[in-house]
Amino acid sequence: MSFIREITKNKYLYLLALPGLLFLIVFAYVPLSGHLIAFKKYRLADGLWGSKFVGFDNFKFFFMSSDWYKVTFNTAFLNGLFLVFGLGIALLLALFLNEIRHALFKKLAQSFIFMPYFISWLVVSMMAFAFLNTTDGMVNRTLEAYGAEKINWYLKAEVWPAFLTLIYVWKFAGYYSIIFLAAITGISGEYYESARIDGATRFQQIIHITIPLIRSVVIVLGLLGIGRIFYGDFGMIYGIVGDNSALYSTTDVIDTYTYRALRILSDFSKSSAVVLYQSVMGLVTILIFNQIAKKIDKDSGLF
Amino acid sequence: MANRVKEDKSVLERSFVIGIYAFVAIFALLCIIPFWLVVVNSFATESSIKLNGMMLFPKEFSLYSYQYTLAGKQIMNSYLVTVFVTVAGTCLAILITSMYAYVLAHPKVKYRRILSFMTYFTMVFGAGLVGFYILIASTLGLKDTLWALILPYLLNPFFAFIMVSFFRTLPYEINEAATIDGANDLSIFFRIIIPISKPVIATVSLFYALQYWNDFYLALLFIDDYKLHPLQIMIRQIISNVNISSYVGGSQTNYSQAVPTYGVQLATVCLTIGPIIFLYPFIQRFFVKGITIGALKG
Repeated sequence: MSFIREITKNKYLYLLALPGLLFLIVFAYVPLSGHLIAFKKYRLADGLWGSKFVGFDNFKFFFMSSDWYKVTFNTAFLNGLFLVFGLGIALLLALFLNEIRHALFKKLAQSFIFMPYFISWLVVSMMAFAFLNTTDGMVNRTLEAYGAEKINWYLKAEVWPAFLTLIYVWKFAGYYSIIFLAAITGISGEYYESARIDGATRFQQIIHITIPLIRSVVIVLGLLGIGRIFYGDFGMIYGIVGDNSALYSTTDVIDTYTYRALRILSDFSKSSAVVLYQSVMGLVTILIFNQIAKKIDKDSGLF
Repeated sequence: MANRVKEDKSVLERSFVIGIYAFVAIFALLCIIPFWLVVVNSFATESSIKLNGMMLFPKEFSLYSYQYTLAGKQIMNSYLVTVFVTVAGTCLAILITSMYAYVLAHPKVKYRRILSFMTYFTMVFGAGLVGFYILIASTLGLKDTLWALILPYLLNPFFAFIMVSFFRTLPYEINEAATIDGANDLSIFFRIIIPISKPVIATVSLFYALQYWNDFYLALLFIDDYKLHPLQIMIRQIISNVNISSYVGGSQTNYSQAVPTYGVQLATVCLTIGPIIFLYPFIQRFFVKGITIGALKG
């Protein structure tokens, strides 16, 4: 009864929320039923409800192959690298940018550093190709100029975690450094003034004032990253590596794996089992790390 | 003695500052060089790229790559698709998101916590590719339609929360005053809240626009029809060298010159990032503000 009363009392407000709510139900909650397919032998003709129930067969199939270990490791490993170097370099940049007094230099540098954030992964992949391609890439041309052998980078799986990390840092350092800078500008100037009176060097001010005071922002961003550690950035990996099977051993992540299972092999059931595994792992990680963060620093939890 | 310590300190301090400037300068250059390379070499001749590789300052200037790329029908098609999807998508998305966020932030709404949780949950437990694919491709039957490129991004929970945190900062007295004047919640939202929320609306619009402009995931999944390929998919086809000539050139170009493979790739990339680079100086300050709001309160 109170439900109906509340709805009628604020009917215009609920009307405003209606399109958004419908969107969430249709595009986020209805597709959850896709997880059912993981327990079925899905056939397009039979549909979701008509397909035969097979229990955990699809999961067995996935876990019996060596794929599950490879893609899980790659996803977590690459995301770990992105997180550590991405946030680390961005923090360093923010700390440094904050020390720069020359206004024009600062503005120009910031604009340049932020620019890669605006372009698509396919444009990034084109740029990477310009540097790395075998015949005319800049890296190989340079190697050649110094009399070294050309290297076919697109066949050398072992170097790609480093390349992808570099590309990630290149694209996102500006974005994250702005978040950090915003937190830094929020720090009261009085701290620095009294530190200067005590004779603290700039380096000491960074270590003892700036870093401790933006700790919670760093933790929150870190947490967000860890919460998504089992989700590869499909656009990034697929955009840059594409369907290059020579690089699967180090770059194939859960997202590219499920994409292939679905779009190339049309194996809905296997793909769905992997997706469910990913969602559960993601949920568990975020719950665990949220608890840990709250232990370390009461205000840092996400919820 | 004391003097010497002080001197050491200032030398140390000075080299620290120089180090800072050097680090930032080098990083900024590394960020910009790939852009420079792509833009400058899109104006170079194909033969000079083949001979010397991509150079920071190519010697021969040519517009042939652009002529060749623009001669094909695909670039116009793709541009239209991308512009339409970006404009329509951003407008719809910002309307739905701001209305929804306003309700989540409104103290009068009793169920706002439930709505917030429903929204947050979708961020931590995803449906994943398969359910999403079946929804769009078979349940809604949107394959090879522009709707498949627009609908899935209409409400981004993260962007919604950025707006929620902004709406919370608005004083509630505005609401009360308007109610006394006889305005209902709809007119309060559209006549009062929207006009005073320009900064956050601008920011989130830009986030959405960027997402629509740069996306290739949806097109990769749902668009097989060449006529509906957005720019990003066009780049992908051209990079992977699938049938460059079916995408560009066309029958009206003369074939006495070879297909400028690199030129076409670089010119297409430039044409794609062009609008963003031109807008960039104008939108940068909004972006910075918006990210700040989102990160500190969201």
